[in-house]
Amino acid sequence: MDGSTDQAPARRATGAGGGRLLVAVYGVLALAATARGLYQVGTKLSEAPLAYLLSLLAGLVYVVATVALARDLRALAWAAVAFELVGVLGVGTLSVVDVGDFPDETVWSRFGAGYGYVPLVLPFVGLWWLRRTGRSAPGVDAAPPPAPPAVG
Amino acid sequence: MLVPLVLLVAALCLALAGWALWFVVADRAVVLRQLWGGAVVEGALVVQAVVLAVVQATGDQDVDGWLLWGYVVTQLLVLPLAAAWAFAERTRWSSVVLLVAALTVAFLELRLLQIWGM
Repeated sequence: MDGSTDQAPARRATGAGGGRLLVAVYGVLALAATARGLYQVGTKLSEAPLAYLLSLLAGLVYVVATVALARDLRALAWAAVAFELVGVLGVGTLSVVDVGDFPDETVWSRFGAGYGYVPLVLPFVGLWWLRRTGRSAPGVDAAPPPAPPAVG
Repeated sequence: MLVPLVLLVAALCLALAGWALWFVVADRAVVLRQLWGGAVVEGALVVQAVVLAVVQATGDQDVDGWLLWGYVVTQLLVLPLAAAWAFAERTRWSSVVLLVAALTVAFLELRLLQIWGM
């Protein structure tokens, strides 16, 4: 038994139970990508402006995704995670097809190979998790989730 | 000098990660003793930062300072965040977070080696 089985029957919070792991991994990626993006934009923007601005944007969207998942801001989390999926697929493809303006140094380049492909896998896991936790139990669609039981 | 130090810090991180993994399997929350372990790693990171600063200031190593110190500062943030999480979340998931954090710092240590060109 873990903490995730005693959640409210309707919707489960996106940050609860196994969602903690998701939030933690998103947090690490947010930190890594934002720090890298700031560094790139701050020191060598002129080398590849589009790639480095995208790099920073990617980092900021990871921050948004982390916060949205942690705070159970479902719509925002959907948007941020979907954005990352499009980003990693789009930039990943561009970086493989045309190396021109996409150095290997952004979080999405080569489908996130520099980060162990975590940026590629994470949006899929994130969308799956949002779908799974968002599924309502029968008959309680419109009802707000009951107050969580007091846990000592 | 630097390589053994970095490897030592990485080994400490992996030991902490192993400890956290054990707690994940055992379905336990992070205990204070693990946070002391994290504090030891954090202390080692500070020592490493000082050594890096001294070596960088005195040597003629051609290294990208912004990149290097971006990593050093980022590294210092990871474990305190996990510790804060451990206080807020008294379930096994705090152990998962500590595991992720310790592995992250270990990974950053390896990147540090690459950046320094060791």
